Amino acid sequence: MSGLARIARRGRPRPNGLTIFGVVTLGCLLFLGVFGPWLPLGDPSRIAAGPRLDAPSAQFLFGTDELGRNFLPRVVQGIRSTFLLSAVAVAITAVIGTLLGMAAGYLGRHTDQIVARGADILFAFPALVAGLLVAAIMGPGQASAITVISIATLPLFIRVVRSVTLGVAGRGFVTAAEVAGASTLRVMLVHLLPNVMGAVIVQLTYALSIGMIIESGLSFLGLGVQPPNASLGSLLRQGSAYLTIAPWMVLSSGVVLSLAIMSVNLVGDAVRDALEPLKGRPLT
Amino acid sequence: MRLATYLLPRVLAALVTLLGVSVLVFLSLRLLPGGYADILLGPFVTPEARAVIAQRYGLDQPLVVQYLRWVWAMLGGDFGVSMVTQRPVIDELLRRAPVTLQLALIALVLALAVGYPLGVLSGVRAASRRKRRDFGRVIGAMGASVPDFVLGSVLIFVFSVWSLWFRVGGYVPLGVDPVGNLRTMLLPGLTLSVFGVALILRTTRDAVLRVMTEPHITAAVARGASPGAIIRRHILRNAAIPVVTVVATYFGFLLGGAVIVEVLFSVPGVGLYIFNGLLNRDYAIVQAGVLLAAMVFITINMLADVLYALIDPRVGVSR
Amino acid sequence: MPAVNSPSLSVLALLAGLGLALPAQAENVITWGKPAEITGFDVHVAGTVASWEMYQMVYETLLTNDDDLSLQPGLAESWEEESPTRFVFTLREGAAFSNGRAVDAQDVIGSIERIRNPEVASYWAHQLGEIESMEALDDRRVAIELAQPHATFLPALAHITAAIIPVQEYQAGEFDPTSEMLGSGPFMVEAHDQDERWTLVRNPHYGRAGYPRADRMNVAIIPDESARMAALRDGRIDFTTFENPDAPQMLGATANVEHHPIQTTNYYRLDVNALSEDSPFHDRRVRQAMNLALDREAINMLVFNGTSAVDYPVPAAFGKDACRDLDTYALSREERLERARALLEEAEQPAPQVELMASSANQVLVRIAEVAQQSLAEAGFDVQIAAVPTAEYLQRVFTDGDFDFSASWLAGYTDPSMVIQWWNPKFAVWNLAFQEEVPELSDALAAIRATPDSPERDEALSEICAMIDQGANLLALVSKIDYVVYRSDQVEVTLADRTGSANTWQYIAEFAPVE
Repeated sequence: MSGLARIARRGRPRPNGLTIFGVVTLGCLLFLGVFGPWLPLGDPSRIAAGPRLDAPSAQFLFGTDELGRNFLPRVVQGIRSTFLLSAVAVAITAVIGTLLGMAAGYLGRHTDQIVARGADILFAFPALVAGLLVAAIMGPGQASAITVISIATLPLFIRVVRSVTLGVAGRGFVTAAEVAGASTLRVMLVHLLPNVMGAVIVQLTYALSIGMIIESGLSFLGLGVQPPNASLGSLLRQGSAYLTIAPWMVLSSGVVLSLAIMSVNLVGDAVRDALEPLKGRPLT
Repeated sequence: MRLATYLLPRVLAALVTLLGVSVLVFLSLRLLPGGYADILLGPFVTPEARAVIAQRYGLDQPLVVQYLRWVWAMLGGDFGVSMVTQRPVIDELLRRAPVTLQLALIALVLALAVGYPLGVLSGVRAASRRKRRDFGRVIGAMGASVPDFVLGSVLIFVFSVWSLWFRVGGYVPLGVDPVGNLRTMLLPGLTLSVFGVALILRTTRDAVLRVMTEPHITAAVARGASPGAIIRRHILRNAAIPVVTVVATYFGFLLGGAVIVEVLFSVPGVGLYIFNGLLNRDYAIVQAGVLLAAMVFITINMLADVLYALIDPRVGVSR
Repeated sequence: MPAVNSPSLSVLALLAGLGLALPAQAENVITWGKPAEITGFDVHVAGTVASWEMYQMVYETLLTNDDDLSLQPGLAESWEEESPTRFVFTLREGAAFSNGRAVDAQDVIGSIERIRNPEVASYWAHQLGEIESMEALDDRRVAIELAQPHATFLPALAHITAAIIPVQEYQAGEFDPTSEMLGSGPFMVEAHDQDERWTLVRNPHYGRAGYPRADRMNVAIIPDESARMAALRDGRIDFTTFENPDAPQMLGATANVEHHPIQTTNYYRLDVNALSEDSPFHDRRVRQAMNLALDREAINMLVFNGTSAVDYPVPAAFGKDACRDLDTYALSREERLERARALLEEAEQPAPQVELMASSANQVLVRIAEVAQQSLAEAGFDVQIAAVPTAEYLQRVFTDGDFDFSASWLAGYTDPSMVIQWWNPKFAVWNLAFQEEVPELSDALAAIRATPDSPERDEALSEICAMIDQGANLLALVSKIDYVVYRSDQVEVTLADRTGSANTWQYIAEFAPVE
């Protein structure tokens, strides 16, 4: 679904209300995620901090959960896990994907065939089933969440970087470097890398939002971060059992998760427009 | 013979991809901790019982032998037997495929019905009035940002408290009770369609915008043609091309990837079957299910490629 | 699949086919919202409650239990204990499989032989003890001779896993117990769509005249609790069970929804790994400290909203007061924490790092783990929770012994001297991977098997309980209650107040739609 998600967010924005909204929301969420543990919000894991399943009040802004935990700090912790895990995973994937994509595009022939087929296989494997398999093999937790996100977003980077590299590889300055005797590695890192960076940065934001969807999806199915730690997905899972008498759990974590993904998408759109102005992009 | 030269490498590549998927799913299942013996016997499993069950299902053979047997049997049309029910997996998959297909079609139709007209409208507005901050972007951003399990949970909440007309769970086959079927299938279909609305809306909007800035449209406007005629004659047709590709990819994704929504709404489709097979370590189900999903996904994408190449020969060979 | 071969039903079908009007109340239909699909068809093999519940609709056992959990007749209308090793069972007159053939002595012998056949891989062989010989005295009488006295032989026969299958058909290859069901119970299977629904119809040859009262039972598989509640609310299902204690509250406002909590001899428990040298719990003092530091009352209040109760190795449902005055239960929390810290100090492990495992499929277990984690932290334990898929949990705990401790629940069965036999791993077998064998305890357990219910036995139970507590190897937490919920405007139910062996729907034959 990665390619699809990318297209879904296509548009031609200029800095406008929506972009500003995205930047501000993302800023707030990042602030909460990064500084959450030091904010005076309460302990996310403290059981019996209040009555069970207490509706939102001045004391507990987001209410309490079924073990009497204050839900607000849990949501803040959820933002932290969801953002952090996705960011780490996407950063790792970007490095691997860029290297593989450049290798495929520049070295061509066999390398290209192998990398392209590998990306196809990952792409054709039903994403959620792949995630469930990896999470179950590695055991639920942060490492498996990161691996699952990487596997799902890797083809995205490979494809984009490969196609950009193909476009650049035949140009004069690359040929010149080759003639001057630059090593393959040097050509790739010094001459090609700067040219694919723009595309990689654009992909980063898309991959980040996909990563967040995957992380929360895995946690929603009980294969993400381990309790009592919260991710936005595990809070949704927790809350969905109590939907009828304590809807604040699903509503607060659901709204925050959607806002988080949306803000990343909006910022991604803005970044793309800034980096790739007026460039006609292929549609698939 | 251009089509053949265009298709042949793609078919070969698809076969290699399928082979890779089959190895991947086979190996990863064997790496899973815990097996069907644990699920069947619970705490009462003993090494002897484990051995008996392994032998019964050929799981005591070397992995290579197991894999080759599986592939060989599939070439003969035998996709294996569920360890839980002893029934052929392919029968169960074929029984469930129409359910998943129906769900995908509902989602696709809803997504097209809402996304395409809105996309055209939004694109035309954006191009003609130079207005960027329009509803198209807002809907597109929102639709692509609400994960299906969030929307699904909220819908379940709303419709299980006030049961209204829709139902949560309790699937009835279309042939048995069409109205009852729609009562249970519309909510999951709606949940799945929201992403599609955003996808199609934004693709259409982009395509329309691009077409609108091309010279022949500008010329048509200069000639004083009515906006309705311009939209009908030039825009809709040209904008349809990228939409076709995206719709195909989206459809492939729907057919193979609706696991969470099927689990959430207890829709007895292929996704739920694979999910339960995975929990039960019922290998044959997951193997056949994943392979089938990959096959459908690849085929639909290939068809989209071909279609795209046929409609617009410029793109064809180079891509 | 057993076909509908009742003459009366065929006639009805024929009449319907001819377009003749049927009486309006032709079919009594009830609908069960079942929380989980079976994990296999073989009644002698599957070890999961989800499977047992379905088998109990179709199969019968020689004996069953009444409300007091004592043995009562099942397929056998009577039984005689001729000696501690010799039993004679007399089958009920008129008992028949749903294909119409009468249940006979050979079915009993063949079924038990099948359970004992290692090829079948039934875990129940061990529970039945060592059988010396079986003999059909006549068509309806079977004599079973044990190699040595085995106190739990009769209770084991009352468990659904000891179901009597049609052996004649099985041996002739007409009936495959691994892929279909054919028994003498109230219902038989007409159709099954995996993970979706079952259609059961009455067994026309069921031994009790006039039963089952329902002609047909639809079974909807609905794993999701919210979806099950929605189904109850709109009347799509008539009865179901919840594990979540808040379910009644969630359904509170709905008219005609009745709740019936059933006390069971089951309780939530912790398995502690005494055998792995990699685990801090290898040291008995660390186990004891953990046992003392657990806040069972907090688990009851927080996870079960106070609807459960602290439970003991000898389940509270049996009404015994064994274990009540042990330190674990009698001391105040502060005193227990102090003792726990002292024990950890003594073991030179003031802050043991341990992993608490639970199946992620059961949210109740995960909540128990979370409360346990917090209460243990107060004594210095550093607990990590691992909520893993069921298959992984099972393999790591019961086969690999690769864990520190894990949360689950224990089937208390139907007799106090039967359930505590679990503390002898050689007898229990399922806990061999982590349970330490304590010779004195095993001796005491062997002695109590032969002791009838009496003040002496109660005293012995207290002594045994103290030994169990000392070992801190398998801990009782709080009672497990089955929350049965049904639509009183749609179905008439008969429910026990207490059950053992997960036999929640013991009186299913008496369920009927409301007129």
